Amino acid sequence: MNTLALFSGAVTLLGAIMVITRQVAVHAVLYLVVTLLGLATVFALLGAPFAAALEVIIYAGAIMVLFVFVIMMLNLGQSDREREKEWLRPRIWLGPALLSILLCAELIYSVSSSPQQEGPLAPLSARDVGLSLFGPYVLMVELVSFLLLAGLITAFHIGRHRTEGR
Amino acid sequence: MITHDLFLPLPLPLLSVGTMLLLTAIAWRRSTTRSLTLALVTLVLSLGGIGYHVGTPHPEGLSLFVQDRWANYTALLILLSSLSILLMSWRDLEQDKTHPTDEYPLLLVLGTLGAISMVFSANYLPFFLGVEILALSLMGLVASRYSRLTEASEASMKYLILSGISSAILLFGIGLAYASTGSLLFSPPPSGNANAIPAIATIMILVGVFFKLSAVPFHMWLPDVMDGAPPPVAAFMAVVSKIAIFSSLVRYFGTGDTPGYLHGILSAVIILTILGGNFLALRQTNLIRLMACSSIAHVGYLLIAFFSPGQLRSEAITLYLAAYAASTLGIFAIICAFALTENSLPNTITDWRGLFYTRPFLATTLSLMILSLAGIPPGIGFFAKFEVAATGVERQQTLLLAALVIGSIIGLYYYLSIVRVLMGTQNTPSLQVKKSQSPELTTLIVVLTLIVVVGGIFPARMLPQVLPSPPLPQNELISIQEPMQPSL
Repeated sequence: MNTLALFSGAVTLLGAIMVITRQVAVHAVLYLVVTLLGLATVFALLGAPFAAALEVIIYAGAIMVLFVFVIMMLNLGQSDREREKEWLRPRIWLGPALLSILLCAELIYSVSSSPQQEGPLAPLSARDVGLSLFGPYVLMVELVSFLLLAGLITAFHIGRHRTEGR
Repeated sequence: MITHDLFLPLPLPLLSVGTMLLLTAIAWRRSTTRSLTLALVTLVLSLGGIGYHVGTPHPEGLSLFVQDRWANYTALLILLSSLSILLMSWRDLEQDKTHPTDEYPLLLVLGTLGAISMVFSANYLPFFLGVEILALSLMGLVASRYSRLTEASEASMKYLILSGISSAILLFGIGLAYASTGSLLFSPPPSGNANAIPAIATIMILVGVFFKLSAVPFHMWLPDVMDGAPPPVAAFMAVVSKIAIFSSLVRYFGTGDTPGYLHGILSAVIILTILGGNFLALRQTNLIRLMACSSIAHVGYLLIAFFSPGQLRSEAITLYLAAYAASTLGIFAIICAFALTENSLPNTITDWRGLFYTRPFLATTLSLMILSLAGIPPGIGFFAKFEVAATGVERQQTLLLAALVIGSIIGLYYYLSIVRVLMGTQNTPSLQVKKSQSPELTTLIVVLTLIVVVGGIFPARMLPQVLPSPPLPQNELISIQEPMQPSL
């Protein structure tokens, strides 16, 4: 189990390095998806399937879609068809796809091979997470809401400057 | 039932309610004056709420928050400083009719909420969330100057990246600490020959904290960011955020001795911080950058007191924090009093030449504040530095004391050269000033001057015992009779 988690960690790290070294933003986004999937696999292998699911749904799903949208809206100019052809050469998507397949194979292997040991450490279910979030840590949920509020206002504040400054 | 094991110091819910009210008011109709008033009322009410709490503390001390004299004292300092900073920015915000900047008071209150949450936290979770709330609000505040948009954005970007890096290191350290202890409560790092993981965790947490405190070698961002930010926000960074993070640092290590493997690192960081800050300040020609470098050096002095846990430590830290906050806020208030419009901000020190002849009152107060920072007797800074030196002597930190002396001598040079510029004569006054029409700034400057002077004359009155002092070792009981009290 430990080696598998380390392997996913290595894939995550590789993906992260590829993200910051790519020249084209869309290619970086592809590797970012791999990074997030690798992180989700690590969570799943460490017994936190709920966190893994959230990672996939929220980060690899929703936020990445937002990223792709923004990048597509910013890069106007070239004709769409040319750009799409250039972005989606096999050479480009082969790397991320390969890494994702590796992660998938690892997940399947760990699900099929690992014996369900009944020990003191049970996997954390959504119920456990919810109970602790709305039990002892309810004040922290409130504080996080203020953190998000601060981020929102700051982003709005800076963004308004930018548009007015032009 | 959830509610019966909640424990919350009262300033936190008051600040949160104030934030929500501000948001509602802004959503209804934008009005800078009303937002400023609401922020002022919120801060004053929270000031009154210090010392009270909601709910009952957990019987075994397993709460998320803790409320003791140290937390109350630093919360008091933070709220008073935020109040001063709000008053400093009042005039500039009201004059700027073209850009309604309601977000400024809102972000100021939010940043104060983050700082207060750090101060009261007994657990890594509220501490880290507080750090992040403070950092995100500061980012918006730094970029809030319209007239120097490019510089402000650059400063904000620098702050974003470096604060992100330091938060990542801090979080990694917290994760390792959780992995080794299995608890998110603040627990003093294991002393003696600890195994690797807790030691690495402690060092990473320390590095994160030093980044936020801008101790040398993690200091490079502070002068740039403070220079790009509006002066009140620079004061906020120099005072509120540093007091909050220092308060958490003291809470993290508790009152005991620091573990042995940290002695070398801490000494090196302290010496580098004192000397580095002072040497950097020597070469500055811009007053705000100079203040940033001097604030780096002051963090070094403060760390000496932190690193010498003895009978005098509590008084030294208490007095030094108050002295540093009052003097720094005073200097920034005077800088704000001169910035009539955002464009005419006096940039270089030579712009202040001849101030004693044109504005004698402001020049006198500015000199008093500077003398206090330099540690010359009429100001409260003298006793603060004296106490810090006394803690060092008590624990026989010879090397650190030498750094303190050398740093203070270098400090005297650049502090006094500002006073010399103020006294210099010039035929044409370069700083075009008219009589300032802001009673709140004048009041603030008078009050801060009174604190600096009265605190310098009667420092013993300002010395509550806020930190429990460590028990005396048995063999030292005979040699130490009475802790020295500088009461005049």
